[in-house]
Amino acid sequence: MASTALIPKSAPFSASEIDALNSIMGGSSREQLAWLAGFFAGLSAAANEPQPVPLAPPRARPALTILFGSESGNAEGLAYAAKKVANKQGFDARVVDMADTELSSIADAKRLLVYTATWGEGDPPQRAADFYTALMSDSAPRLESVKYAVLGLGDSAYVNFCETGRRIDARLEELGGTRIADRIDLDLDFSAKASNWTTSTLEALRPADGVSGARVVHVDFQQPLDGASPQAPIFTSDAPLEAEITGLVNLNGSGSTRETWHVELATDAAGYVYKPGDAISVIPENDPELVAALVASTGVDADPAFVQYLTQSADITTLSRPLIEKYAALSGRSELAPLVSDAEAFQRFAADRQLIDLFAEYPARLDVQTLKGLLRPLPSRLYSVASSQIAHEGETHLLVGAVRWHSHNRTRNGVASTFLADRRKIGDTLKLYVKPNRHFRLPTDSSHPIIMIGAGTGIAPYRAFVAERQTQDGAGKSWLFFGERNFTHDFLYQLEWQDFIKSGALTRMDLAFSRDQPEKIYVQHRLWQRREEIRHWLAEGAHLYVCGDEKGMARDVDETLVRILAEPEHNDSDAGKAALKALAKAGRYQRDVY
Amino acid sequence: MTDRRSRNEHIKEASRQLRGTIATGLADQVTGSISDDDQQLVKFHGTYLQDNRDLRGERTRKKLEKAYSFMIRVRLPGGVVTPAQWLALDKITEDYATGTLRLTTRQTFQFHGVLKSNMRATMQAINAALLDTLAACGDVNRNVLSTANPHLSAVHAESLILARTLSAHLLPRTGAYHEVWLDGEKVKDTSGPGSGEEEPIYGKHYLPRKFKIVVAVPPDNDVDVFAQDLGFIAVVEDGELIGWNVTVGGGMGMTHGDLDTFPRTADLLGFCRSEDAVAVAEAVLTVQRDWGNRESRKRARLKYTIEDHGLSAFRSEVEKRLGFTFGEPREFHFERTGDRLGWQKGPNGRWHLGLFVENGRVADRPGHALQTALRKIAEMHRGEFVCTANQNVIVANATAAAKRKIDAILDANGISIATSSGLRRNSMACVALPTCGLALAESERYLPSLVTKLELLLAKAGLVDDDIVIRMTGCPNGCARPYLAEIGLVGRGPEVYNLYLGAAFDGSRLSKLYAQDVREDDILGLLAPIFERYSHERKPGERFGDFVIRAGIVAPTLQSNKFHEVPQLAAV
Repeated sequence: MASTALIPKSAPFSASEIDALNSIMGGSSREQLAWLAGFFAGLSAAANEPQPVPLAPPRARPALTILFGSESGNAEGLAYAAKKVANKQGFDARVVDMADTELSSIADAKRLLVYTATWGEGDPPQRAADFYTALMSDSAPRLESVKYAVLGLGDSAYVNFCETGRRIDARLEELGGTRIADRIDLDLDFSAKASNWTTSTLEALRPADGVSGARVVHVDFQQPLDGASPQAPIFTSDAPLEAEITGLVNLNGSGSTRETWHVELATDAAGYVYKPGDAISVIPENDPELVAALVASTGVDADPAFVQYLTQSADITTLSRPLIEKYAALSGRSELAPLVSDAEAFQRFAADRQLIDLFAEYPARLDVQTLKGLLRPLPSRLYSVASSQIAHEGETHLLVGAVRWHSHNRTRNGVASTFLADRRKIGDTLKLYVKPNRHFRLPTDSSHPIIMIGAGTGIAPYRAFVAERQTQDGAGKSWLFFGERNFTHDFLYQLEWQDFIKSGALTRMDLAFSRDQPEKIYVQHRLWQRREEIRHWLAEGAHLYVCGDEKGMARDVDETLVRILAEPEHNDSDAGKAALKALAKAGRYQRDVY
Repeated sequence: MTDRRSRNEHIKEASRQLRGTIATGLADQVTGSISDDDQQLVKFHGTYLQDNRDLRGERTRKKLEKAYSFMIRVRLPGGVVTPAQWLALDKITEDYATGTLRLTTRQTFQFHGVLKSNMRATMQAINAALLDTLAACGDVNRNVLSTANPHLSAVHAESLILARTLSAHLLPRTGAYHEVWLDGEKVKDTSGPGSGEEEPIYGKHYLPRKFKIVVAVPPDNDVDVFAQDLGFIAVVEDGELIGWNVTVGGGMGMTHGDLDTFPRTADLLGFCRSEDAVAVAEAVLTVQRDWGNRESRKRARLKYTIEDHGLSAFRSEVEKRLGFTFGEPREFHFERTGDRLGWQKGPNGRWHLGLFVENGRVADRPGHALQTALRKIAEMHRGEFVCTANQNVIVANATAAAKRKIDAILDANGISIATSSGLRRNSMACVALPTCGLALAESERYLPSLVTKLELLLAKAGLVDDDIVIRMTGCPNGCARPYLAEIGLVGRGPEVYNLYLGAAFDGSRLSKLYAQDVREDDILGLLAPIFERYSHERKPGERFGDFVIRAGIVAPTLQSNKFHEVPQLAAV
């Protein structure tokens, strides 16, 4: 396109500037020029200057509700990504968290996108439980006018894969909604598929007279323009940070039945940002011995590249139902039919077995492509960050419980935990990226007291919390409840807690070591013993945190907290539940459980 | 004038009669330890803070403090417990300690590995078994020993009664024990300014150092009377107890390289009538209280008080306080320091089983379920258990029918009454590593394997069945009384020991240093030819400890206080 003089000589620039501008703009396409127009309008709006009056009123943008139910943050991430795409496509999108909203808030939505995870054995994400129950209840409103589509996230290692997505999808239909696109159930390798589904579903949701053809170039003026956006971390699963391991020690004494590794990583890269409460996603590698066993048992002709793929990229342990289905078909083994057709039979088989057992017990020769077709990508593992970027400058600390067990005459090793414990040493690197968790955060007002409850590796985020609060002037008082098996060998970070208490960063600490005496003592027993003081702290505005194993601890802690809150209400359990729920709604009861 | 008293004297003085800040320290959950001063004070309550020294190297790296735990020692004058008490103690170690029981050289039980968080529960469980731990350690009269087994004669029974009476009479009166461990209530605190004295015998400062009393009935010297601060040796005429020969100033502890410290055998103070024994004990103890060295704890035992003041001055002062004088010591004769092992029929027709417990460790090992066997015996036994000062146990007072059952239980659990060798059944070791803070070398964990190697040498020399006393300690303080053993091994450093030879079999003469800083190979190499010579050259009935002197292998320690004197350096 020939360069033309776009900028008039009367423009408030010098003659040489006008020439320079014309030399660039003269060759611009209409689209580029439209973008610049919007860009400068936005810039000036952001600078709170009076809005220039548009030449024509903008077309009303179609409203879109993006609802998510998230456990680890993946569904939440997809929801916000969808919002960006939708806004670019001309929608007026808002994101709603099931945890923070009532069912009525979606009743009059015209267009609804749902992103939901499934937790554990087919349950909704914990924070979404109330919303989910309301949606499933008889009193749920009719949703005749809603056009919707559902994306389910899950882990095919669990039998009731994507159960919550499936149920919500069916329920929305029952309530009169119109499914505008087929539901998609995604496994741990959801990223690209989710993005494609979002794009195509938005296409389907677009009103007939809508924004088709027009391309709205969306610029987020709230973001700094130099590229470093906290919304878009520069380190991701595809582009992780390779951090050097600078410390690696099993914190349990040598008489322990536990093995809990403290890992220190050098993470001073620009753009690498985390907060106490966040998780670190660690990209592990498989055990080379297991890879070799797998190669041997399948007879696959594995060249070094394929071995590398099996070691670094493939999930070679998880025994999922879809995998057995595929394997049954291609191996032609009729004995596998019951495992495919009968969920219980599958569960019995898969309970304590892994992929290697399937190949060993029902051998079939596989070629590279077939084996590849069976395997899903190797998922990363999440660990609550145990450090504070302020207190531990340039470092990231993790606390990793080594997972080892024995079943069906095989020694099993947790992929990521034993990758760290057995196959990494100081000086090696580890691939990782930050997984923000805005649902496990220190109080914004640091003067608020905090009560932290954790068992085992659940103590990790509290080390970050207390270390961070130690750097803050006027930080409120803090109380840590910690449980493990033995005082002598399992008191994780004992010397540091002693120092924190001495310095006043930690106000008090109560301990429950279950195996130190004939009767088992757990954190919930200590909570109950201290219930009066706990109520007193809560009255003073304390925030409650629970971190650790759901079945092993968090459930009992939750019940105990209900009892503690119910006690002044004539032990009315419903009142206790309501009080705890109110704390949760206020962000004062936060859980990071697994 | 400057106050030159030792630190411990100040701690005692400020302790409000042994209370210190123990209760506060127990409530602090984040450490398994207690304050330095309280560590000194809890000893008086019968417990020590220790840490597992095997683990010290790794702890800081793992962000863990030392692996602290407490040793708890029961006060058990005369060593007698009922089967119900045995079972209670067995349960306590299962619940709160290492799971095994340790019989000590002072006729009592020790628990190891008790966590601070379990201390009160453990003390209360001991109390529920009608036992206590008060004054089992500390600068007080310690557990009083009595010749084992009160059922052997009326005099043996008197010996036990005296041991118990002395223990009760010399017990601290402070309410601190009850207050700290049992119900947390302040029983009585009369220690404040202007209030009355809580401790009529001990006062605010207790004794300068530990104080050990025993009661012996010849010809058995199983309580090692010459190793004690104060001893009562029964004087019997026509089967009747007429009084006691009193000994003072024995003691084992010394410091390597400090010639001002030494083990010492006790001197005879004189004879007293049986009814005066308690008054004698109190007078000896209070003279030591007033005369003892409170500046240097290394020189604070009664043996040094007697060295420094002279025996006759000491005797005069005791007599002055008593208001009467001692009689001339009567003749007595000891035969041995060891126990009578195996079944023995008492004068009342009941049976008593002396059971060898290697190093006093009551535990189950593969094929040798001693702890189980004793638990099962306790479940059926109607008599008593008697701990001996040689770390063994006597199942006492069994009927003939019960004897058969006991044999069956022992048999079923792989326990043989006939012990392997004369050396092993006369062996004794202190606890040492990993828990004892003083240990310089292994003892309990090492001696059994050393004995096994020595047994091979003894077998070659044809001496397997001969009684030879061997004792090992991990440090020179001498809990297992090594300087009164025919073969004594005292830790100097990891795997390094001093070898002492030439003590008397009856416990009346100290040994002499034979070789310094020797390792296992040296020990075996040095002893092998001596065993051979002993086998070939000994006179009939001549004991190993006497032979090495006659043969010129070591010089005798002829005087109670001349342990370090060597007329001619032994060539090593």
